Amino acid sequence: MSNGVMNGAMNRKLLFILGPVTGLLMFAAVIFVASQLMNREYREPYRVPTAAVDATPREAGVTAERADAETKAKAKPYAEAEYRTFPVVGSRVAIWAVAELHLLFAAFVLAVPIFAFIIEVIGYKTGDMRYDRLAYEFTKLLSTSFSLTATFGAALTFMLIILYPKFTNYLMSVFSPTFLPYIGLFFFEAFFLYTYYYGWGKFHPLVHLGLGLGLNLVGTGIMMIANAWVTFMTSPAGISDQGAVLSVRDAIYNYTWMPINIHRFIANIAFGGSVAGAYAAFKFLQAETDEERAHYDWMGYIGNFVAISAFLPLPFAGYYLAKEIYAFSQTLGLTMMGGAFSWLFIVQAVLIGNLFLAANYYLWLGMGRVEGVQPLQKFIKYLLAGVTLCFMIWATPRSIIATVSELRAMGGGTHPILGYFGVMSAKNTAVNILILTTFMSFLLYRRTGKVATVSWAKMGHATQLAIFAAAAIIVISLGVYGYFVEATVRIGLSVPQVSSVLFAMVAITAIDVFLFRGAMKTGEVRWGRMPAVSQYVLIFIAVTFTWLMGLMGYIRSGLRQHWHVYGVVRDTSVDAFTPTIGFATRVVSVTVLLFFLLIGFVFWLTSLHDKPDFLVQTKPPVPKGSGHVSPGFTGEAPGEHRRTA
Amino acid sequence: MTIPHPLRVGALVLVATSFYTYVGQMVPQKEVLPPQETVIRADLTTDDMVKVGQEIMNGKGLCFTCHTLGKTEGPFRFPDLSGVDARAMMRKPGYTDVDYFAETIYDPNAFIVPGFNPGMPVINKPPIGLTDQEILCVIAYLQTLGGTPTVTLQTSHRYYTPPGAPGAAPPGAPGAAPAPAAASTTQPAVPGAPPPPAAPRGSPPPPAPAPAKGTR
Repeated sequence: MSNGVMNGAMNRKLLFILGPVTGLLMFAAVIFVASQLMNREYREPYRVPTAAVDATPREAGVTAERADAETKAKAKPYAEAEYRTFPVVGSRVAIWAVAELHLLFAAFVLAVPIFAFIIEVIGYKTGDMRYDRLAYEFTKLLSTSFSLTATFGAALTFMLIILYPKFTNYLMSVFSPTFLPYIGLFFFEAFFLYTYYYGWGKFHPLVHLGLGLGLNLVGTGIMMIANAWVTFMTSPAGISDQGAVLSVRDAIYNYTWMPINIHRFIANIAFGGSVAGAYAAFKFLQAETDEERAHYDWMGYIGNFVAISAFLPLPFAGYYLAKEIYAFSQTLGLTMMGGAFSWLFIVQAVLIGNLFLAANYYLWLGMGRVEGVQPLQKFIKYLLAGVTLCFMIWATPRSIIATVSELRAMGGGTHPILGYFGVMSAKNTAVNILILTTFMSFLLYRRTGKVATVSWAKMGHATQLAIFAAAAIIVISLGVYGYFVEATVRIGLSVPQVSSVLFAMVAITAIDVFLFRGAMKTGEVRWGRMPAVSQYVLIFIAVTFTWLMGLMGYIRSGLRQHWHVYGVVRDTSVDAFTPTIGFATRVVSVTVLLFFLLIGFVFWLTSLHDKPDFLVQTKPPVPKGSGHVSPGFTGEAPGEHRRTA
Repeated sequence: MTIPHPLRVGALVLVATSFYTYVGQMVPQKEVLPPQETVIRADLTTDDMVKVGQEIMNGKGLCFTCHTLGKTEGPFRFPDLSGVDARAMMRKPGYTDVDYFAETIYDPNAFIVPGFNPGMPVINKPPIGLTDQEILCVIAYLQTLGGTPTVTLQTSHRYYTPPGAPGAAPPGAPGAAPAPAAASTTQPAVPGAPPPPAAPRGSPPPPAPAPAKGTR
């Protein structure tokens, strides 16, 4: 027997024991953690048995003490704990991290079916099977993610019961009628998700689309029920001054419920699209053939397109949420925007500015895929200047951290020039122009390699340009006007600013669709012809989205400050204080890293899907006509059976 | 040597996350503690009440989250409080400054200062939840802004009648106002303090309880 064969056999033996050893190690780790937790309880010290020592007065005293302790222990009344502690990091950080991980996976699991379904519909309507394959590729990411979501959900529930029993009990008393529907929907979610995934290509396309629609409806329902619990904590309703439930309906339909539903629905799509884009980027970087690169380049582009398309209207949903927070409590609104949390919005501006820059950069790189792109590339430098300027304005704080001499030189905490950019008039203007600019990048990308041939092409282009210019002029004019009016008027100016941008995006897109119908192609899109850096940009976008979700989650939750339920259930634990922004960002970062570690595992697991079976790698090919051929030997990975209709 | 892509991706995730953590450390760092409970002594003088009122307005009352003091120009989200007592005396016919201040605190939407939007929360209920005695201290401080403080812990107004005053509910009865505490965490009680004098006659009873929270 040769050495190679011997080594192979040895390796197989080692691999065989790898699973049990890992299992044993995990089991030992669980026992260790459990014993550590148990050891925290007080235990009587070991004493030598009474019979072995002389009956001395001390011994009699110890016996009497023990008897007394036993009597007291038997008579001890049951008292409900208000809080329990979590080792090392404390209860708040533990709940924070688990809740955030649960939310990130839940957002992903809710978002992916939405755009997978839409892509599948496109595939069905156009008959282009590439879309069907793409939708399936996205759906492959769901199975493991769903398990992780459920696991973190269970962990969150148990940890709430253990660490915050009184508060959890209160929430249960208010929302008990919603729990059974939630469980029911969760069951249906599992049913629809696994049937949708495993039934790919096994049913009539319309039946499969019906499953996808069901999955999305049920997922949205689950999100809305959970949102009721969360938003009630910020803006409680339907209860008496003492917290007794008067109306569960009002408790659900509280001030921030619908804004959060809308905001989360859109944000989940943006986040899910970015993570799916990161998966495609990861696969692109590991691809070995041009065909694979082309496929994953396209997938990354679609993921990013979904993310940025959902991201553009997100600030408007944010306005709606902020408006309702103010409507519920001006104090809460001012704490968010002008108090302890206002500096978090500067961090948020850095994140969103980076997202816009990265998204635009990816689109500009993407133009390189298309032949004959040169006429449009000259606009990029203007777009870059616009994006950078808006980013800088948005990230400018109102007051500046400075030394005493610098403060004296400035005449206060506000810079004499930059201070004008730190107010809402400037920031609202900047973000609206940022959105318009990114939209223009999309539009330019969309029309690369195409020339409109309709008879009214010139007029169409002119109209689009006029709408864009009018929206920009309205946004900038109202922004400048905002400096000269009272706050009550200025707050209202954001509505026409937002409306004009939304109108411009809808109107220009509508014109574009008709303008480029039957357009002449001047160059082919060469999918896969993208530099590697573009794929790292996609991963950077996903990290930034995830971090942004963590940060905004902290703002939404931390806004309550020392209240579990604002104005109703006060936080009297040791964690009742609001931590520094620095501490909060560290917790967010650790959670984001944990998420990427786990989502990396999901990516790896999903990648196994595409690998040939083990036997294919080790055994020689079966000669033709030898009888039975297993699916693995055909070169088709399990589950890769495609719909033929 | 070529660095494998998974390692590069890992490094990118780590660097991006570290960068955002760094940005988080660059902004002002402040830990916000829950407001300290102030226990009002029964024998506080008006001058003491002014000091306590100022502390409450800066802390537990959250007044300066929205209001400003001494701001002369620029946009005002809520009224600036400089010289507010002089305005309070003339704001509503038949109201004293104390009555006006009490109304703005207990029933803030009863009168909205022209040019401003409603937004003042009810201060004697959670989440702020000042006690009647704390509110008297706040009124004492507000009187110093453009006027002379006159209130004591025995002052009655449209929304509160101190215990022991004519027309006040007997102790322990439903709706009876809690007696001022005999000890303070910040200012120790003085043993043998004189009993509070009677409030003026004809003080109206406290208003009816507010409707359920947040019903839209």
